[in-house]
Amino acid sequence: MPVKFFGQFLLEKGIVTREALLKAVGPQDSTNLKFGETARSMGLITDADIDRVHDAQRSEDLPFGDMCVKLGILTADQLKEVLAKQKAGHLFIGEALIKTGAINANDLPKYLEAFKADQAPYVIDKVAIPAGVPDAALWEAAADLTYKMLSRVAGFTVRPGQCVLTQHLDANDTVVSIGMTGSVKARYLFSVSTNVRTLIARAMLNTDDVSKEQEDMLNDTVMELANVICGHIEAKASQMGKEIEISPPEVLTDGVNGIPVPTGGKGLLFPLHVAEGRIEAGIFLEQV
Amino acid sequence: MKKVLVVDDSLSVGRQLSQIIAGTGEFEVIGPARNGVEAIKMYQTDRPDIVCLDMNMPVMDGPTALRSIMAIDRNARVVMITSLGGVGDKFTEALKLGARNVISKPFKPDEVLKVLREL
Repeated sequence: MPVKFFGQFLLEKGIVTREALLKAVGPQDSTNLKFGETARSMGLITDADIDRVHDAQRSEDLPFGDMCVKLGILTADQLKEVLAKQKAGHLFIGEALIKTGAINANDLPKYLEAFKADQAPYVIDKVAIPAGVPDAALWEAAADLTYKMLSRVAGFTVRPGQCVLTQHLDANDTVVSIGMTGSVKARYLFSVSTNVRTLIARAMLNTDDVSKEQEDMLNDTVMELANVICGHIEAKASQMGKEIEISPPEVLTDGVNGIPVPTGGKGLLFPLHVAEGRIEAGIFLEQV
Repeated sequence: MKKVLVVDDSLSVGRQLSQIIAGTGEFEVIGPARNGVEAIKMYQTDRPDIVCLDMNMPVMDGPTALRSIMAIDRNARVVMITSLGGVGDKFTEALKLGARNVISKPFKPDEVLKVLREL
């Protein structure tokens, strides 16, 4: 997996140990507050406001702070204040590693330079759909929603790789497929490794221990996450003037051998880099 | 105690929703039914007070099952379950067909219970 997090890069280069990295993550978790937590700590919003914003985000895809302004909970100036405080108080992993004594402050700039050079080929600001693919805006939104739902629903920190055309989705432990008909004829594919499936099951079933769950239940949680993602894609499509119907999700039993793009179709692959395992999302268009 | 029929093809959603609904002791959960056909059968035999009905299911989807349930009992109290984020024609279609409300996935327990208590 070429796309990495800075901590992972330092670990792989042997600059820090796993133990040192874990020790540094602790202060990061307690220091880095989400937007809502920061605003609450500043006395600008209440728990009830946070609930209101979360509710509103279900029907409109806006960042938390922007939604606060839209609902009249914060003014535009207050939004800037919260963002500034959040930025100023953010503890990056490099700083946390210095604090815990794992690396020397003088060495950090050179490590960051090396990391930047290593990652330059993979960094993207925006999902770019390859030229010639129809409904590009919709698939761009689909990729964006996939990243957001993985974060919001399952708690993953995702670094998206660049979208590429593909002839097949690589083999993976669990592959879920959801058909799309109507304004588009396509199939949404979502594949995860076993470790990622466990983390999704924990989040979806709201429990820390899923070791006694049956395969059907574990697969079902992945299907349901894909279903939630596609439900949001369907809603987004509707906002864009396209009516699509999604079929119920299914686990592809041949997923362990990889999934080929249908003859005459086009395959879009959206690599998703997470620290915990392997996730890929694909859109296979029929008869382009 | 009010009886709530849960209808969802997803094992995990069926379990999650049942736990939320039964958790406070205010409601008795029956089901889950796994599709619209099972839901209609269970509605006829068990006569639940409330039905939580998923929109998108195999065999028979939610809106089709809703039509049949409303034909059986025009006072049926049905809440649709959807991941559509509250927009789109299906949402308004379900309300027009007689659904009382819509619950969005992923669930917020307080919100689910509030919707059911208000029926």
